[in-house]
Amino acid sequence: MADLLTRLRNGPCLLLDGGMGTMLMERGLPQGDAPDRMNLDMPEKVEEVHRLYVEAGSEAVHANTFGANPARLASYGLEDRCDEINRRAVAIARAAGPKFVIADMGPTGEYLAPVGAGDITRWREGYRVQAAALIDAGADGIHIETMGDLREAMVVLEVVRELAPDLPLLASLTFDRKKRGFFTLMGDPLVDSLNHLLAAGATAAGANCSIDSGDMAALAAEARSAVQGPLVIQANAGAPQLIDGRMRYDQTAEAFAADMRAALAGGLAAIGGCCGTDPAFIAALAELP
Amino acid sequence: MSLPSNEEIARAIVDGDAELAREHAEALVAADADLVAAIENGFGAGIREVGDLWEEGEFFLPELVQGAEAMKAAMTVIQPALAAGQGEGRSRGTVVIGTVEGDLHDIGKSLVGTLLAANGFAVHDLGSDVPVAAFVEKARETSAEIVAASALLTTTMTVQQELVTALAAAELPNRPRVLVGGAPTSPNWAEQIGATHAENAMRAVAAAAGLAARGGTDG
Repeated sequence: MADLLTRLRNGPCLLLDGGMGTMLMERGLPQGDAPDRMNLDMPEKVEEVHRLYVEAGSEAVHANTFGANPARLASYGLEDRCDEINRRAVAIARAAGPKFVIADMGPTGEYLAPVGAGDITRWREGYRVQAAALIDAGADGIHIETMGDLREAMVVLEVVRELAPDLPLLASLTFDRKKRGFFTLMGDPLVDSLNHLLAAGATAAGANCSIDSGDMAALAAEARSAVQGPLVIQANAGAPQLIDGRMRYDQTAEAFAADMRAALAGGLAAIGGCCGTDPAFIAALAELP
Repeated sequence: MSLPSNEEIARAIVDGDAELAREHAEALVAADADLVAAIENGFGAGIREVGDLWEEGEFFLPELVQGAEAMKAAMTVIQPALAAGQGEGRSRGTVVIGTVEGDLHDIGKSLVGTLLAANGFAVHDLGSDVPVAAFVEKARETSAEIVAASALLTTTMTVQQELVTALAAAELPNRPRVLVGGAPTSPNWAEQIGATHAENAMRAVAAAAGLAARGGTDG
């Protein structure tokens, strides 16, 4: 844990893993089912994905817990198994032999008013159940990912910090590229949001999902020029396409790595891939200087 | 009482003021004003500006939703009056809309439904987590020209393809066209599965208008 903290603060850049959902779909995840359920039903498949990433060069893998908060699990009738799903996921990731296991905490899928009926108090209670399980299971760190609302990211951050003041904690929002710059769905601007997360206690802050490596490189440059603190980025491999009857993303590992080279040169604490990236993308990143 | 100007009507929509938008609509209906013109030049102009501001990056989801809610409040008053005054009304076409099975994301789909209704389409919203068979049945029942399917997950977007296949297999008399949307979808994806893509809610209206104009003759 102290190791990961030092690494994120002082470098060199930590190599994370790539997409999980797309890899699990190729290994039997039923259409429309919760990837998190596979921690219970098909742990060997989840471990296989982790192992492939470790072999490709990932120093840290994300436990398969992105959707394992009670609100999201409830959509699949799994809310009562939140604790178990999260504990198992950490153990599965550990078994694959990475240097670090970083637990993943994604959004509830609910929105605050006026968009939806999300309730911060209920979010806090749910995230506390998930975070407590992950911390108790021995995760080396936690990564808050794919948040489209800074307020929801802050709820998770505060919950984790209450339970584990010194745990390495990465926080990534998901940004779209607009004419005026990078913003979340709710309108949170890039630089202010990352500075806010760092000031509130994130070890590293950054962006994942939504955009491809080209836009992510531009995002990294903008963030690097105005954010004092460790940055983490994980781009998508372009947009999904149907190729030979299978869902594929349209960027190659080489093009992805070429875009990320510039971002790395600017200085990053951690880098990985999001939707559509696979071990080949991580291997390509591992070869970058 | 003077009638609200088109600018005032549009402003209520852009401001997301549902109460004011409804009051404007009620005033127009009470005065027997030209409702079609008011939709086009007042309410419609407002929602188009909301869309422009969204694309510019000035508006975000909260403003978009509030604008759509204001639009919906006005249309709830205007549509019955329009229908009563013109018999069949002036429907530009019938749309069956829903989020595909396995996917619970509702916001984008509902926004598209609201905007389509506001733009003169008869809209049947099936909600989220809708089985392919339910889309097909509703399309049959309503003689819809367009079936619009939203998918927000890479794990569920393949259901859009199943929908296209199922609709073709059903051989409905007017061969409804399929409109797809949602974060992971793209024009390329739509082309691959034989559907039409809508990048966002505003574009969905334009795409639906294009599809309806082409009609069900299957060229």
